[in-house]
Amino acid sequence: MKSIQFVRTDAGWRSSAAASATTARSDRRTVVNGSASMPDSSRKATGSHPSAQDDGPPALILAGLTKTFGGKPAVDRVDLTVPAGSFFGLVGPNGAGKTTALSMAVGLLRPDAGSSAVFGVDMWSDPVRAKALIGVLPDSLALPERLTGRELLTFLGQLRGLDPAAITERTRELLDVMDLEHAERTLVVDYSTGMRKKIGLATALLHAPRLLVLDEPFEAVDPVSAMALKSILARFVADGGSVVLSSHVMALVEQLCDTVAIMVEGRVVTAGPLAEVRGHGSLEETFVRLAGGDVRAAEGLSWLAS
Amino acid sequence: MVGVLIRMKLAIVRNSMTGGRAALMITGGVLGLLGAATTVWLSLVNPSGPGVVPDLLATTYVVWLLGWLVGPVWGASSVLRVEHFALLPMPRRQLAIGLLGAAFVGVTTAVTALAFLSLVVYGIRQGVLPALVSVPAAALQLVLVVLLSRTSHSVFGLIARGRLGSAFTGLLLAAFLVLTQSGWIVLVVIANSEVLSTGFPSGYSAVVRAIPSGWGVAAVESAHEGQWWRAVGMLAAMVALSGLLLLGWSRTLGSLRHGRTTIRGSSHAPAATSPVLAGRTAAVVRKELRTWWRDPARIQILAIVLGWALGTALLPLTLGWTAVLPWAGPGMALMAATVACNLYAPDGTALWLTLQTGSEREDLRGRQWAYLLVFGSLTVAVTVGFTLWSGYTWAWPWVLALVPALLGGGVGLALYTSVVALAPGPDAHKRPDNPLEHGETPWQSQVLFWVGLLPAVPAVMTVVFGTVYDNAVLLWAGGPVGLATGVFLGWWLGRVAIGRLRAKGPEMLYQMRTGRAAKTVAAAAPRVDVPKVKLSRRESLVAGLSWIFGPLCLIPQGVIPVVILLAGAEQKVWFLALYMPDPLRWPVAILMVLLGCFLLHQAIRLTVKSSRL
Repeated sequence: MKSIQFVRTDAGWRSSAAASATTARSDRRTVVNGSASMPDSSRKATGSHPSAQDDGPPALILAGLTKTFGGKPAVDRVDLTVPAGSFFGLVGPNGAGKTTALSMAVGLLRPDAGSSAVFGVDMWSDPVRAKALIGVLPDSLALPERLTGRELLTFLGQLRGLDPAAITERTRELLDVMDLEHAERTLVVDYSTGMRKKIGLATALLHAPRLLVLDEPFEAVDPVSAMALKSILARFVADGGSVVLSSHVMALVEQLCDTVAIMVEGRVVTAGPLAEVRGHGSLEETFVRLAGGDVRAAEGLSWLAS
Repeated sequence: MVGVLIRMKLAIVRNSMTGGRAALMITGGVLGLLGAATTVWLSLVNPSGPGVVPDLLATTYVVWLLGWLVGPVWGASSVLRVEHFALLPMPRRQLAIGLLGAAFVGVTTAVTALAFLSLVVYGIRQGVLPALVSVPAAALQLVLVVLLSRTSHSVFGLIARGRLGSAFTGLLLAAFLVLTQSGWIVLVVIANSEVLSTGFPSGYSAVVRAIPSGWGVAAVESAHEGQWWRAVGMLAAMVALSGLLLLGWSRTLGSLRHGRTTIRGSSHAPAATSPVLAGRTAAVVRKELRTWWRDPARIQILAIVLGWALGTALLPLTLGWTAVLPWAGPGMALMAATVACNLYAPDGTALWLTLQTGSEREDLRGRQWAYLLVFGSLTVAVTVGFTLWSGYTWAWPWVLALVPALLGGGVGLALYTSVVALAPGPDAHKRPDNPLEHGETPWQSQVLFWVGLLPAVPAVMTVVFGTVYDNAVLLWAGGPVGLATGVFLGWWLGRVAIGRLRAKGPEMLYQMRTGRAAKTVAAAAPRVDVPKVKLSRRESLVAGLSWIFGPLCLIPQGVIPVVILLAGAEQKVWFLALYMPDPLRWPVAILMVLLGCFLLHQAIRLTVKSSRL
């Protein structure tokens, strides 16, 4: 089991988040001290970096997360630490447990064992506070399908308790950025896959969270929209936000992320700063080496294209 | 091709068989056999009227045909889906024949084949040549209904994409429900009239023979009368219609990308600012009302409820009875809870947003308010309108007591059931070709229809005492008592459901995502839940059968015959006890009541065991 803790220059939180950052900070001490399941290495790592930036708790800590489906472990004792202010990429082959791990991290799937904490707030014992800090894009879940994009964002803004003027303004901006304004009267159920992804991202961003957890955010999104999204995410991180995204597109992760973890068969096989993980080769080479190169591919289907 | 598809169908059915499903299949099979036996019995009777037997048979075949037409709307999703085969390089007609062959494998087809044996029996009674004609006629009749059913499945799927089409299918379902539940009224009309001795009116006979289900009867009759060209012509017409249907149906198979009916939303509406409308619950109410208006599946629910209540109240008008009119409103309140008992499943995995925003309470309460706004306003309007129309002033205390109690109890029970007994279906964006596809809720509806009556008990008792003791205060106190019961139950059951939603939200989400119940192996963070006791396959079979036959034995076969015996009435209809010789009538009725109580006790015991919190 790998556990990691990195220090990264944090540009600082915007004023609106300052108050909650302070509370989260004081909470973190209890979490770290009281957590028996946290591996020693991470505690040491915390202690060995007495810099000012390390005062804030990590954006996300997963400790010993486990989930078993039908006797087969989908996620097996995963420990991960996402430092505040990092752009974190979680990569792995199909069925590695990325979606399951992220679902447990954000409170959508109850783990068999282990815990998840967002800025020091435990997801499963204090869900209301923890969930207020994050924006989530789950993979291929439904939305309130019979609303238009604008109605959906307004609805969510009201559920999040935002001010009406802010809701109207943010909704307008988000629809504009996501290039969804032309679909003003289209219900979400009639959206294309890419449009669903974009409106999902808009719902994740609407309440200006401190941590974004995105499951395959760029799948089926066209290059133009992807470019816009990438710049939004990059600016979000530059302003001090944290992002965790899962993907199996290595080039994208290399381009965006500063920290990566590789999951294979429910376990984290390596994690660390991008440069460290990929060493001298590319991320793809490291990935294929760790995931186990598939000899079947070389043998091929002899009858095909004969 | 046919063999492969049949094996595939059997494999799917086998893999998705659960105790509950098996119970449903057995119950359906038994009821179907009863229907088939009745049909065959009709071909054996000897009424005095001329041509009564063929008329009765043709009428019964219309009912069988209706059942086959409505079946696919009710069952909603077919085992073998055309989409599975969309990419196979195969002519549509070959696929159609394969799917048709597979469609013949099933309990329903076997039962219907038995029922159609009645035509052969009738033919044998007419002589050798009519008997020879009756065999191909019965076989063709079976092919026809199966084909019509397949075609109607495609056609309903097509028209249900729009809201008008959904409303139509809803009304059709309601009509079928009314006929099966209150069809005995029609039987009473027929039994009391002179037709059994004088024969049906000629216009009626012509109509039931003009419908394709009556062509077989017409062919056998023609053979008996020696009109050979007519007999052969009828058979040929059946073959031709089958061919046409097969052709038409196979044409719908390939073209999956029909233009979809798009329903439009609002444009540029700004967020509400007034404190009442901007709250979290108000936001949910607004979303729900929009969904009730825009979602074809919800429109269908509305149409079923409205159609059933109005149909049940209006059908007795054929007997000149107006006494049922005031009960249309209370019936609507009851039926609303029965049909809308799975309100979380249609929104599917959108539940993640509720969990993510921690708005479980607002979501449930918002849904309750929307339910009340939709069904409450309809119920009140129908109650007032129909009670005024009936002109029965004595009915007012009763409906004023019933409506608030049933509505309030209904809004509590419907939402409670939606959360506790979630029956997941496919997510909305994954069923664009048939918006009516949904999770199946046979238990929930069956149970809720009876349990939904309970909230009215205190209010009704008040009115009963008021009537018995001729006390005006008690008589009119039923309204306030009903209101209090309704408000309390709506609030309390909602509260229980909110607790459950908070404790089990992730498990519900998992169930909607995968269609399977979630199992959390060990404790995570705080343990709110105690694991469910899983019923064995046999136990859930027993529970299912008990839920179906318990209420049937208790109320229609037990309590109602007792009332009829007390009243000394002579209508036997389908009440077993009344068919008994005199000394056995009372014991049988009481035995039925006891059996019903025992089965209900079993059902409740097992259900409580499986859903203990």
